[in-house]
Amino acid sequence: MKICTTCVLPETFPGITFDDQGRCSYCSKHDKTEKRDNQRDRFYAKFQEILQRLKGKDPYDALLAYSGGKDSTYTLKLLKETYGLKLLAITVDHGFVSPKAVKNIQNVTGRLDIDHCAFRPGTDTLRTLFSRSMVMDVYPIKALERASAICNSCMNLVKSLLIKISIEMRVPMIFYGWSPGQAPLRSSVFKTNAAMLRKMQEAVSVSFEKLIGDRLSAYLLKDHHFKTDPSRESDRFPYIIHPLAFLDYSEETILDAVGTLGWIPPEDTGSNSSNCLLNDFAIEMHIKQHRFHPYAFEIAGLVREGCMTRSEGLERLSSRPDAAHLDYIKKKLEAGAESRSFCKGAGK
Amino acid sequence: MNIATVIRKFIIENFLFEDTGNLKEDTSFLESGVMDSTGVLELVSFIEETFGIVVEDEDLVPENLDSIARIARYIEKKQEN
Repeated sequence: MKICTTCVLPETFPGITFDDQGRCSYCSKHDKTEKRDNQRDRFYAKFQEILQRLKGKDPYDALLAYSGGKDSTYTLKLLKETYGLKLLAITVDHGFVSPKAVKNIQNVTGRLDIDHCAFRPGTDTLRTLFSRSMVMDVYPIKALERASAICNSCMNLVKSLLIKISIEMRVPMIFYGWSPGQAPLRSSVFKTNAAMLRKMQEAVSVSFEKLIGDRLSAYLLKDHHFKTDPSRESDRFPYIIHPLAFLDYSEETILDAVGTLGWIPPEDTGSNSSNCLLNDFAIEMHIKQHRFHPYAFEIAGLVREGCMTRSEGLERLSSRPDAAHLDYIKKKLEAGAESRSFCKGAGK
Repeated sequence: MNIATVIRKFIIENFLFEDTGNLKEDTSFLESGVMDSTGVLELVSFIEETFGIVVEDEDLVPENLDSIARIARYIEKKQEN
C-alpha cells in the first residue's frame, strides 16, 4: 500500500493524489508554518475577545462535551484553571464507556469541583443506532473521511444535545476537546445562529430518521428553540469552540497534566481512544468497508502539525485490536434485539 | 475564472473528490450532505483568503453560503461594498 512520504495518509484515502516525491495532495495544500502561526494567533485573539465579552454573564459560562478521554479532560482543566470559566461538563454515556473512564470522570470532576451531568439514552436505541450506522449508507464520504459511521452517529447525538442544552439553559459557549487533527484550525471558533443551526439539524435529523426513526427526537431542537429573543439575540445561540486547535498540543504534556487530577489511562480502549470500548470495533468495520483507517486523517494532521512523528503515527494506525475484545463488543451490540440482524459479518 | 467556477472547483476538490454527479449551482451543501458545519467554516476560510473579504459572524447564514450560486452572489455583493 502506498503511503504519503510526509504524513500517514494511504492511497486508499478519498481524493488523494501523490507527487513525484510521494508527497500527498493534503500535505501539498497544508499551509506553511508561518501562516499557520498567524492563523493560530488570530483564532486565539478571537477566543480571548469572546471570553472577555461573555465570561461571568450567565450561571454557566460554557458547556464542555466531556467524554472522559485525555483530550476533553485536559480541555476541562485548562478552561477551569487557566481561563477561570464556570463550566457544566456533559457526558453522553453511549453504553460503551470504559469503567475506568467512568472512574476518571468521577476523579476529575471531583478534583476540579465541576458540575457534571451524564445522559444515557436507551440501551437498545443506541445499540440499534450503532449497528445500523455500520451497514446503512447515511453519511457522505466527507464525514467518513474523519470518523467511522459509528463515531459520526455518536458525535451527532452529542453535538445535538449540547446545542439544545446551551439554548435551553442560556449557556453562551460550547467547548470540545478535539485534537488539532480532528478540528481544523479554520473551523475552531464558530458563532451559531438560528438559520445555520436549522440547516445543520435537518441533516442530522434525516440521518437519525433513517437509522432509528424518531427515537432520538428528544435530543433535537424543536421550532421554539430557533425563535430569537429580541433582548438577547446576539448571545442566544452559542459559540462552538475547539481550543486545542489553536492552543499548544502535546500528548506528553496532556498526559502529565491530566495525571495530576487522578486521571489514569484506561487499558481496555485500544490505541486510538482513552474512553470508548466500542472504538476499535468501529475502526475495524470502517477499514473493512472503506479501506482506510478512520483515524488516518486526524493522525496525518497531528504529524503535519508536529504534534506526533510520522513513525509514531504509522505505529498508531497499524496497531490491531484484540480479536476477543472485538467479539465481546459484537455480542454486546447484537444483544439489542432490533440490531441483531445488522451485525452479520461484523468483527470477523 | 469567475467566482462560481472557483467555488465549484474548491468544493469538488475538497468535498466531492471528483464525484460531481449532482452538484448544481443551487444545490444546498447542507441538505445534500456535501458538507457539515466544519466544512462550511473551511469554505469560509477559503473564500476569505481567495477573494480578500472578511466573512463576519452575522454573515454565516445559509442564505449566503449554502450553494455555489448563493456564495457567488454574496461575494459579489461584498466586493461591491
